[in-house]
Amino acid sequence: MNIPRKLKLLAFGACLAAAALPASAEEYPKFDYMPGKELAIPHVSGDAKFSNTYQYWKDEKALEDAKKSGKMSHEMNYKDFRWAVKSFDAEGAIDIGRGYYNEKNAKGQSCASCHGAEGKKLKGIYANYPAYNKRLKRVVTVPTQIKACATERLGFDWKENTRQNTLIDFFVGSLSDGKVVKIDATSPGPIKASYERGRDLFFKRGGHFNFACASCHTPPAAGKYLRGQRPTTFFGDAAQYPIYHFPYSLPGDDFEYVFTLQHQIKSCQILSRIYPGEEGSPAMTDIEVFLKASANGYKMSVPVAEYNMDTSYLD
Amino acid sequence: MKFGFKQRYLPLLVLAGSLTVGAIAPSSAEEAPKWVPGEQYPRELLKNFPCHDYDLPCGKMTSPPVERVEFKGPLKGDAERGEKIATNLRWGNCIACHALPKHEGGSIGPSLKGYAHREMPLDYTYQRLWDVRFYNPNAFMPVYGPNKVLTDQDIQDVMAFLYTK
Repeated sequence: MNIPRKLKLLAFGACLAAAALPASAEEYPKFDYMPGKELAIPHVSGDAKFSNTYQYWKDEKALEDAKKSGKMSHEMNYKDFRWAVKSFDAEGAIDIGRGYYNEKNAKGQSCASCHGAEGKKLKGIYANYPAYNKRLKRVVTVPTQIKACATERLGFDWKENTRQNTLIDFFVGSLSDGKVVKIDATSPGPIKASYERGRDLFFKRGGHFNFACASCHTPPAAGKYLRGQRPTTFFGDAAQYPIYHFPYSLPGDDFEYVFTLQHQIKSCQILSRIYPGEEGSPAMTDIEVFLKASANGYKMSVPVAEYNMDTSYLD
Repeated sequence: MKFGFKQRYLPLLVLAGSLTVGAIAPSSAEEAPKWVPGEQYPRELLKNFPCHDYDLPCGKMTSPPVERVEFKGPLKGDAERGEKIATNLRWGNCIACHALPKHEGGSIGPSLKGYAHREMPLDYTYQRLWDVRFYNPNAFMPVYGPNKVLTDQDIQDVMAFLYTK
Protein backbone atom coordinates (compact mmCIF):
# COMPACT_ATOMS: atom_id res chain seq x y z
CA MET A 1 0.00 0.00 0.00
CA ASN A 2 2.28 2.72 -1.23
CA ILE A 3 -0.22 5.30 -2.31
CA PRO A 4 -1.83 6.06 1.05
CA ARG A 5 1.61 6.61 2.55
CA LYS A 6 2.39 9.09 -0.19
CA LEU A 7 -0.92 10.77 0.44
CA LYS A 8 -0.08 11.03 4.12
CA LEU A 9 3.21 12.68 3.25
CA LEU A 10 1.39 15.08 0.93
CA ALA A 11 -1.10 15.94 3.63
CA PHE A 12 1.77 16.52 6.07
CA GLY A 13 3.44 18.79 3.54
CA ALA A 14 0.24 20.69 3.00
CA CYS A 15 -0.08 21.22 6.74
CA LEU A 16 3.44 22.59 6.89
CA ALA A 17 2.72 24.93 4.00
CA ALA A 18 -0.49 26.08 5.65
CA ALA A 19 1.36 26.74 8.89
CA ALA A 20 3.95 28.77 7.00
CA LEU A 21 1.37 30.85 5.16
CA PRO A 22 0.04 33.21 7.87
CA ALA A 23 3.47 34.78 8.38
CA SER A 24 3.75 35.82 4.74
CA ALA A 25 0.09 36.75 4.62
CA GLU A 26 0.78 39.38 7.26
CA GLU A 27 3.35 41.03 5.08
CA TYR A 28 1.21 40.94 1.96
CA PRO A 29 -2.39 41.35 3.05
CA LYS A 30 -4.94 39.47 1.04
CA PHE A 31 -6.94 42.12 -0.71
CA ASP A 32 -10.48 41.80 -1.94
CA TYR A 33 -10.67 41.97 -5.72
CA MET A 34 -13.59 42.43 -8.05
CA PRO A 35 -13.81 39.60 -10.58
CA GLY A 36 -12.34 40.01 -14.06
CA LYS A 37 -8.72 40.84 -13.24
CA GLU A 38 -7.40 37.87 -15.18
CA LEU A 39 -9.40 38.78 -18.29
CA ALA A 40 -7.76 42.19 -18.73
CA ILE A 41 -5.29 42.49 -21.60
CA PRO A 42 -3.25 45.54 -22.64
CA HIS A 43 -5.15 46.19 -25.85
CA VAL A 44 -8.40 47.98 -26.60
CA SER A 45 -9.84 44.87 -28.26
CA GLY A 46 -9.81 43.25 -24.81
CA ASP A 47 -13.12 44.99 -24.25
CA ALA A 48 -14.78 42.16 -26.17
CA LYS A 49 -14.30 39.95 -23.11
CA PHE A 50 -15.99 42.54 -20.89
CA SER A 51 -18.78 44.47 -22.59
CA ASN A 52 -18.86 42.74 -25.97
CA THR A 53 -19.44 46.10 -27.68
CA TYR A 54 -16.00 46.61 -29.23
CA GLN A 55 -17.35 45.88 -32.69
CA TYR A 56 -19.55 49.01 -32.51
CA TRP A 57 -16.87 51.56 -31.67
CA LYS A 58 -13.52 50.19 -32.78
CA ASP A 59 -13.20 52.88 -35.47
CA GLU A 60 -15.12 55.71 -37.12
CA LYS A 61 -16.81 53.45 -39.65
CA ALA A 62 -17.96 50.93 -37.07
CA LEU A 63 -19.45 53.80 -35.05
CA GLU A 64 -21.30 55.21 -38.04
CA ASP A 65 -22.68 51.79 -38.94
CA ALA A 66 -23.79 51.08 -35.38
CA LYS A 67 -25.60 54.41 -35.13
CA LYS A 68 -27.27 53.84 -38.49
CA SER A 69 -28.43 50.40 -37.44
CA GLY A 70 -30.21 52.02 -34.50
CA LYS A 71 -27.90 51.06 -31.65
CA MET A 72 -28.53 53.13 -28.55
CA SER A 73 -25.68 54.83 -26.75
CA HIS A 74 -25.80 52.50 -23.74
CA GLU A 75 -25.78 49.45 -26.03
CA MET A 76 -22.44 50.73 -27.29
CA ASN A 77 -21.07 50.90 -23.76
CA TYR A 78 -21.23 54.75 -24.11
CA LYS A 79 -18.07 54.65 -26.22
CA ASP A 80 -19.83 56.39 -29.08
CA PHE A 81 -19.59 59.91 -27.73
CA ARG A 82 -16.33 61.65 -27.04
CA TRP A 83 -13.62 60.53 -29.32
CA ALA A 84 -14.98 61.20 -32.77
CA VAL A 85 -16.18 64.73 -31.99
CA LYS A 86 -13.66 67.50 -31.42
CA SER A 87 -14.05 70.19 -28.78
CA PHE A 88 -13.66 73.75 -30.00
CA ASP A 89 -14.13 75.19 -26.53
CA ALA A 90 -10.82 73.65 -25.57
CA GLU A 91 -8.71 75.63 -28.04
CA GLY A 92 -8.41 78.54 -25.62
CA ALA A 93 -7.06 76.27 -22.88
CA ILE A 94 -4.52 74.76 -25.30
CA ASP A 95 -3.39 78.27 -26.20
CA ILE A 96 -2.73 79.06 -22.56
CA GLY A 97 -0.75 75.81 -22.33
CA ARG A 98 1.25 76.85 -25.37
CA GLY A 99 1.95 80.12 -23.58
CA TYR A 100 3.44 78.31 -20.58
CA TYR A 101 5.41 76.09 -22.94
CA ASN A 102 7.07 79.25 -24.30
CA GLU A 103 7.45 80.99 -20.94
CA LYS A 104 11.09 81.97 -20.42
CA ASN A 105 12.97 81.81 -17.15
CA ALA A 106 15.57 84.38 -16.05
CA LYS A 107 18.15 82.81 -18.36
CA GLY A 108 15.80 83.07 -21.30
CA GLN A 109 15.12 79.32 -21.49
CA SER A 110 11.74 77.71 -21.99
CA CYS A 111 10.38 74.26 -22.82
CA ALA A 112 10.74 75.29 -26.45
CA SER A 113 14.52 75.69 -26.05
CA CYS A 114 14.92 71.89 -26.00
CA HIS A 115 11.70 70.60 -27.51
CA GLY A 116 11.39 72.99 -30.44
CA ALA A 117 8.96 75.69 -31.42
CA GLU A 118 5.33 74.55 -31.27
CA GLY A 119 6.49 71.36 -29.56
CA LYS A 120 7.98 70.09 -32.79
CA LYS A 121 9.95 67.29 -31.13
CA LEU A 122 7.05 66.22 -28.93
CA LYS A 123 4.67 65.26 -31.71
CA GLY A 124 3.24 61.83 -31.10
CA ILE A 125 5.01 61.12 -27.83
CA TYR A 126 1.85 61.30 -25.75
CA ALA A 127 0.66 58.06 -27.34
CA ASN A 128 3.68 56.27 -25.81
CA TYR A 129 3.37 57.66 -22.28
CA PRO A 130 3.60 56.73 -19.40
CA ALA A 131 7.16 55.59 -20.11
CA TYR A 132 10.19 54.48 -18.13
CA ASN A 133 12.57 57.34 -17.35
CA LYS A 134 16.08 55.93 -17.07
CA ARG A 135 17.50 58.91 -15.21
CA LEU A 136 14.70 59.04 -12.64
CA LYS A 137 14.64 55.22 -12.58
CA ARG A 138 10.86 55.10 -12.54
CA VAL A 139 7.83 55.05 -14.79
CA VAL A 140 6.53 58.57 -15.34
CA THR A 141 3.38 60.11 -16.74
CA VAL A 142 3.68 63.21 -18.91
CA PRO A 143 2.78 65.53 -16.00
CA THR A 144 5.60 64.00 -13.92
CA GLN A 145 7.97 64.39 -16.86
CA ILE A 146 6.93 68.05 -17.19
CA LYS A 147 7.55 68.53 -13.47
CA ALA A 148 11.02 66.99 -13.73
CA CYS A 149 11.96 69.18 -16.71
CA ALA A 150 10.48 72.36 -15.25
CA THR A 151 11.92 72.09 -11.76
CA GLU A 152 15.34 70.71 -12.69
CA ARG A 153 16.12 72.51 -15.92
CA LEU A 154 14.04 75.68 -15.93
CA GLY A 155 13.65 76.38 -12.22
CA PHE A 156 9.86 76.56 -12.44
CA ASP A 157 7.89 74.96 -9.63
CA TRP A 158 5.39 73.25 -11.89
CA LYS A 159 4.34 70.15 -9.98
CA GLU A 160 1.74 67.72 -11.31
CA ASN A 161 -1.11 69.49 -9.56
CA THR A 162 -0.35 72.99 -10.81
CA ARG A 163 -2.23 74.92 -13.42
CA GLN A 164 0.87 75.37 -15.60
CA ASN A 165 1.66 71.66 -15.58
CA THR A 166 -1.89 70.66 -16.50
CA LEU A 167 -2.21 73.14 -19.33
CA ILE A 168 1.20 72.24 -20.80
CA ASP A 169 0.09 68.61 -20.52
CA PHE A 170 -3.01 69.50 -22.54
CA PHE A 171 -0.92 71.28 -25.17
CA VAL A 172 1.51 68.35 -25.44
CA GLY A 173 -1.38 65.90 -25.56
CA SER A 174 -2.94 67.77 -28.47
CA LEU A 175 0.29 67.24 -30.45
CA SER A 176 -0.47 63.50 -30.52
CA ASP A 177 -4.00 63.83 -31.83
CA GLY A 178 -4.68 60.91 -34.18
CA LYS A 179 -1.67 58.88 -33.06
CA VAL A 180 -2.37 55.26 -32.09
CA VAL A 181 -1.68 54.48 -28.43
CA LYS A 182 1.21 52.09 -27.97
CA ILE A 183 2.45 51.12 -24.52
CA ASP A 184 4.47 47.92 -24.42
CA ALA A 185 3.04 46.18 -21.38
CA THR A 186 3.85 42.64 -22.52
CA SER A 187 7.67 42.58 -22.76
CA PRO A 188 9.28 41.93 -19.38
CA GLY A 189 10.33 45.21 -17.81
CA PRO A 190 9.22 48.09 -15.62
CA ILE A 191 6.21 48.99 -17.80
CA LYS A 192 4.82 45.46 -17.67
CA ALA A 193 5.33 45.37 -13.91
CA SER A 194 3.65 48.75 -13.57
CA TYR A 195 0.73 47.60 -15.74
CA GLU A 196 0.19 44.57 -13.55
CA ARG A 197 0.32 46.56 -10.32
CA GLY A 198 -2.06 49.12 -11.82
CA ARG A 199 -4.44 46.38 -12.91
CA ASP A 200 -4.47 44.94 -9.41
CA LEU A 201 -5.19 48.36 -7.93
CA PHE A 202 -7.99 48.86 -10.42
CA PHE A 203 -9.74 45.70 -9.26
CA LYS A 204 -8.92 46.09 -5.57
CA ARG A 205 -11.79 46.98 -3.28
CA GLY A 206 -11.44 49.80 -0.81
CA GLY A 207 -12.78 53.03 0.58
CA HIS A 208 -15.86 53.80 2.62
CA PHE A 209 -18.14 51.84 0.26
CA ASN A 210 -15.72 48.97 -0.35
CA PHE A 211 -15.77 49.72 -4.07
CA ALA A 212 -13.07 49.09 -6.66
CA CYS A 213 -12.57 51.15 -9.82
CA ALA A 214 -13.92 48.02 -11.49
CA SER A 215 -17.19 48.27 -9.54
CA CYS A 216 -18.37 50.96 -11.95
CA HIS A 217 -16.12 50.30 -14.92
CA THR A 218 -16.84 46.65 -15.67
CA PRO A 219 -20.16 45.05 -16.61
CA PRO A 220 -22.84 44.79 -15.41
CA ALA A 221 -22.37 48.35 -14.08
CA ALA A 222 -20.72 49.66 -17.25
CA GLY A 223 -23.27 50.50 -19.90
CA LYS A 224 -25.94 51.19 -17.30
CA TYR A 225 -27.14 54.42 -15.74
CA LEU A 226 -25.45 55.53 -12.56
CA ARG A 227 -28.14 58.09 -12.03
CA GLY A 228 -26.85 61.06 -14.08
CA GLN A 229 -23.60 59.39 -15.05
CA ARG A 230 -22.79 56.81 -17.66
CA PRO A 231 -20.01 54.47 -16.58
CA THR A 232 -18.13 52.70 -19.33
CA THR A 233 -15.46 49.99 -19.38
CA PHE A 234 -11.80 50.90 -18.86
CA PHE A 235 -10.82 50.24 -22.49
CA GLY A 236 -9.97 53.01 -24.92
CA ASP A 237 -10.95 56.07 -22.91
CA ALA A 238 -7.40 56.92 -21.85
CA ALA A 239 -6.72 57.83 -25.50
CA GLN A 240 -8.87 60.94 -25.02
CA TYR A 241 -7.01 62.41 -22.06
CA PRO A 242 -6.24 65.12 -21.10
CA ILE A 243 -9.82 66.17 -21.56
CA TYR A 244 -11.56 69.50 -21.56
CA HIS A 245 -13.90 68.82 -18.72
CA PHE A 246 -16.30 71.72 -18.71
CA PRO A 247 -18.08 72.39 -16.39
CA TYR A 248 -16.42 70.13 -13.86
CA SER A 249 -13.23 70.73 -11.99
CA LEU A 250 -11.91 69.24 -8.81
CA PRO A 251 -13.33 71.14 -5.87
CA GLY A 252 -11.24 74.19 -5.15
CA ASP A 253 -9.00 73.67 -8.14
CA ASP A 254 -8.63 75.76 -11.22
CA PHE A 255 -7.17 73.83 -14.09
CA GLU A 256 -9.01 75.88 -16.67
CA TYR A 257 -11.35 72.89 -16.62
CA VAL A 258 -8.74 70.51 -17.97
CA PHE A 259 -8.58 67.02 -16.57
CA THR A 260 -5.45 64.97 -17.00
CA LEU A 261 -5.86 61.24 -16.57
CA GLN A 262 -4.30 61.68 -13.12
CA HIS A 263 -7.03 64.17 -12.16
CA GLN A 264 -9.64 61.80 -13.50
CA ILE A 265 -8.38 58.94 -11.35
CA LYS A 266 -8.32 61.24 -8.32
CA SER A 267 -11.80 62.49 -9.06
CA CYS A 268 -13.10 58.92 -9.31
CA GLN A 269 -11.43 58.08 -5.99
CA ILE A 270 -13.10 61.04 -4.30
CA LEU A 271 -16.50 60.19 -5.76
CA SER A 272 -16.27 56.57 -4.67
CA ARG A 273 -14.85 57.58 -1.26
CA ILE A 274 -11.41 56.07 -1.58
CA TYR A 275 -8.63 58.17 -0.05
CA PRO A 276 -7.35 60.07 -3.10
CA GLY A 277 -3.75 59.66 -4.21
CA GLU A 278 -1.32 62.40 -5.17
CA GLU A 279 -1.04 63.09 -8.88
CA GLY A 280 2.14 61.43 -10.14
CA SER A 281 2.58 59.13 -7.13
CA PRO A 282 3.78 55.60 -7.93
CA ALA A 283 0.36 54.05 -7.32
CA MET A 284 -1.46 56.67 -9.40
CA THR A 285 1.11 56.23 -12.17
CA ASP A 286 0.56 52.47 -12.15
CA ILE A 287 -3.19 52.96 -12.54
CA GLU A 288 -2.55 55.32 -15.46
CA VAL A 289 -0.24 52.78 -17.12
CA PHE A 290 -2.99 50.18 -16.81
CA LEU A 291 -5.62 52.51 -18.29
CA LYS A 292 -3.40 53.81 -21.07
CA ALA A 293 -2.25 50.33 -22.08
CA SER A 294 -5.91 49.31 -22.14
CA ALA A 295 -6.23 51.86 -24.95
CA ASN A 296 -3.44 50.26 -27.00
CA GLY A 297 -4.38 50.17 -30.65
CA TYR A 298 -6.84 53.03 -30.26
CA LYS A 299 -6.44 56.47 -31.77
CA MET A 300 -5.62 59.43 -29.54
CA SER A 301 -8.19 62.18 -29.78
CA VAL A 302 -7.30 65.45 -28.03
CA PRO A 303 -9.12 67.76 -27.51
CA VAL A 304 -12.34 65.88 -27.59
CA ALA A 305 -15.88 66.97 -26.81
CA GLU A 306 -16.78 65.49 -23.50
CA TYR A 307 -20.49 65.39 -23.94
CA ASN A 308 -22.57 63.97 -26.66
CA MET A 309 -24.84 66.72 -27.85
CA ASP A 310 -26.75 64.37 -30.11
CA THR A 311 -29.33 62.98 -27.71
CA SER A 312 -31.40 61.24 -30.36
CA TYR A 313 -30.09 57.82 -29.45
CA LEU A 314 -29.80 58.23 -25.69
CA ASP A 315 -32.26 56.45 -23.45
CA MET B 1 30.51 62.97 41.88
CA LYS B 2 27.28 61.91 43.39
CA PHE B 3 23.88 62.64 42.07
CA GLY B 4 20.81 62.67 44.25
CA PHE B 5 17.75 60.75 43.16
CA LYS B 6 16.31 63.80 41.46
CA GLN B 7 19.42 64.70 39.53
CA ARG B 8 20.01 61.17 38.46
CA TYR B 9 16.51 60.73 37.15
CA LEU B 10 15.94 64.24 35.96
CA PRO B 11 16.76 63.47 32.33
CA LEU B 12 14.47 60.47 32.49
CA LEU B 13 11.71 62.58 33.99
CA VAL B 14 12.13 65.18 31.30
CA LEU B 15 12.04 62.47 28.69
CA ALA B 16 8.95 60.89 30.23
CA GLY B 17 7.34 64.32 30.46
CA SER B 18 7.97 65.10 26.83
CA LEU B 19 6.69 61.67 25.88
CA THR B 20 3.48 62.32 27.77
CA VAL B 21 3.13 65.68 26.07
CA GLY B 22 3.81 63.95 22.80
CA ALA B 23 1.15 61.41 23.58
CA ILE B 24 -1.37 64.00 24.64
CA ALA B 25 -0.73 66.47 21.87
CA PRO B 26 -1.96 64.32 19.01
CA SER B 27 -4.99 63.10 20.91
CA SER B 28 -6.09 66.66 21.64
CA ALA B 29 -5.38 67.59 18.04
CA GLU B 30 -6.99 64.32 17.08
CA GLU B 31 -10.45 65.80 17.20
CA ALA B 32 -11.21 63.79 14.13
CA PRO B 33 -13.64 65.41 11.74
CA LYS B 34 -17.08 63.90 11.99
CA TRP B 35 -19.21 63.00 9.06
CA VAL B 36 -22.60 64.63 9.06
CA PRO B 37 -24.76 62.45 6.81
CA GLY B 38 -26.03 64.52 3.93
CA GLU B 39 -22.80 66.53 3.83
CA GLN B 40 -19.51 65.84 2.12
CA TYR B 41 -17.54 62.99 3.67
CA PRO B 42 -14.40 64.41 5.35
CA ARG B 43 -11.34 63.35 3.40
CA GLU B 44 -9.30 62.60 6.54
CA LEU B 45 -11.74 59.88 7.53
CA LEU B 46 -11.14 58.06 4.24
CA LYS B 47 -7.71 57.09 5.59
CA ASN B 48 -9.51 54.53 7.75
CA PHE B 49 -10.40 52.43 4.71
CA PRO B 50 -8.27 50.58 2.15
CA CYS B 51 -6.75 52.93 -0.44
CA HIS B 52 -4.47 52.67 -3.48
CA ASP B 53 -1.32 54.25 -2.08
CA TYR B 54 1.82 52.17 -1.53
CA ASP B 55 3.24 54.19 1.39
CA LEU B 56 0.23 55.18 3.46
CA PRO B 57 -1.06 52.68 6.04
CA CYS B 58 -4.43 52.58 4.26
CA GLY B 59 -2.67 51.02 1.26
CA LYS B 60 -2.13 47.87 3.31
CA MET B 61 -5.60 47.71 4.83
CA THR B 62 -8.04 45.07 3.74
CA SER B 63 -11.79 45.06 3.30
CA PRO B 64 -13.84 44.51 6.48
CA PRO B 65 -14.87 40.91 7.09
CA VAL B 66 -18.35 39.91 5.97
CA GLU B 67 -20.85 40.51 8.76
CA ARG B 68 -23.79 38.17 9.20
CA VAL B 69 -26.55 39.99 11.02
CA GLU B 70 -29.93 38.76 12.11
CA PHE B 71 -32.98 40.94 12.20
CA LYS B 72 -35.65 39.71 14.53
CA GLY B 73 -38.04 42.61 14.15
CA PRO B 74 -40.50 44.08 14.54
CA LEU B 75 -39.56 46.77 12.05
CA LYS B 76 -39.47 50.16 13.74
CA GLY B 77 -38.67 52.66 11.02
CA ASP B 78 -39.65 56.09 9.84
CA ALA B 79 -40.54 55.76 6.17
CA GLU B 80 -40.24 59.47 5.52
CA ARG B 81 -36.74 59.60 6.95
CA GLY B 82 -35.92 56.42 5.04
CA GLU B 83 -36.94 58.07 1.79
CA LYS B 84 -34.59 60.97 2.55
CA ILE B 85 -31.72 58.57 3.26
CA ALA B 86 -32.37 56.57 0.10
CA THR B 87 -32.50 59.59 -2.18
CA ASN B 88 -29.77 61.76 -0.64
CA LEU B 89 -26.60 61.74 -2.73
CA ARG B 90 -24.44 62.05 0.38
CA TRP B 91 -26.24 59.61 2.60
CA GLY B 92 -27.66 56.26 1.47
CA ASN B 93 -27.87 57.29 -2.20
CA CYS B 94 -29.74 54.09 -3.15
CA ILE B 95 -31.20 56.11 -6.02
CA ALA B 96 -27.84 56.24 -7.81
CA CYS B 97 -28.23 52.59 -8.84
CA HIS B 98 -31.87 51.68 -8.14
CA ALA B 99 -35.24 52.96 -9.24
CA LEU B 100 -37.19 53.45 -6.00
CA PRO B 101 -40.84 53.70 -4.99
CA LYS B 102 -41.96 57.16 -6.17
CA HIS B 103 -38.54 57.88 -7.74
CA GLU B 104 -36.74 57.14 -10.96
CA GLY B 105 -33.08 56.20 -10.47
CA GLY B 106 -30.07 54.44 -11.90
CA SER B 107 -30.23 51.11 -13.69
CA ILE B 108 -27.20 49.32 -12.25
CA GLY B 109 -29.17 47.59 -9.50
CA PRO B 110 -32.62 46.06 -9.95
CA SER B 111 -35.63 48.35 -9.70
CA LEU B 112 -37.08 48.49 -6.21
CA LYS B 113 -40.41 49.88 -7.31
CA GLY B 114 -43.15 47.81 -5.71
CA TYR B 115 -40.62 46.11 -3.41
CA ALA B 116 -43.29 45.92 -0.69
CA HIS B 117 -45.40 43.65 -2.89
CA ARG B 118 -42.62 41.12 -3.27
CA GLU B 119 -43.07 40.10 0.36
CA MET B 120 -39.37 39.62 0.95
CA PRO B 121 -38.50 38.51 4.52
CA LEU B 122 -37.35 41.39 6.72
CA ASP B 123 -34.29 39.43 7.77
CA TYR B 124 -33.21 39.04 4.14
CA THR B 125 -33.61 42.73 3.34
CA TYR B 126 -31.85 43.79 6.53
CA GLN B 127 -28.87 41.57 5.75
CA ARG B 128 -28.70 42.86 2.16
CA LEU B 129 -28.64 46.43 3.39
CA TRP B 130 -26.21 45.80 6.22
CA ASP B 131 -23.70 43.70 4.29
CA VAL B 132 -24.70 42.54 0.84
CA ARG B 133 -21.65 40.31 0.53
CA PHE B 134 -23.30 37.65 2.64
CA TYR B 135 -25.54 36.87 -0.35
CA ASN B 136 -23.29 37.98 -3.18
CA PRO B 137 -19.56 38.50 -2.56
CA ASN B 138 -19.16 40.30 -5.89
CA ALA B 139 -22.06 42.69 -5.44
CA PHE B 140 -21.56 46.36 -6.29
CA MET B 141 -23.44 47.69 -3.29
CA PRO B 142 -21.68 49.67 -0.56
CA VAL B 143 -21.13 47.72 2.64
CA TYR B 144 -23.44 50.02 4.57
CA GLY B 145 -23.22 48.33 7.95
CA PRO B 146 -19.59 47.27 8.48
CA ASN B 147 -18.18 50.59 7.20
CA LYS B 148 -20.74 52.65 9.14
CA VAL B 149 -22.29 54.33 6.13
CA LEU B 150 -25.71 53.70 7.65
CA THR B 151 -26.68 52.86 11.24
CA ASP B 152 -29.09 50.19 12.35
CA GLN B 153 -31.82 52.84 12.66
CA ASP B 154 -31.03 54.29 9.22
CA ILE B 155 -31.43 50.85 7.67
CA GLN B 156 -34.72 50.26 9.46
CA ASP B 157 -35.95 53.62 8.17
CA VAL B 158 -34.97 52.73 4.60
CA MET B 159 -36.74 49.40 5.04
CA ALA B 160 -39.89 51.14 6.30
CA PHE B 161 -39.76 53.24 3.12
CA LEU B 162 -39.29 50.18 0.88
CA TYR B 163 -42.03 48.18 2.62
CA THR B 164 -44.63 50.94 2.42
CA LYS B 165 -47.49 49.64 0.29
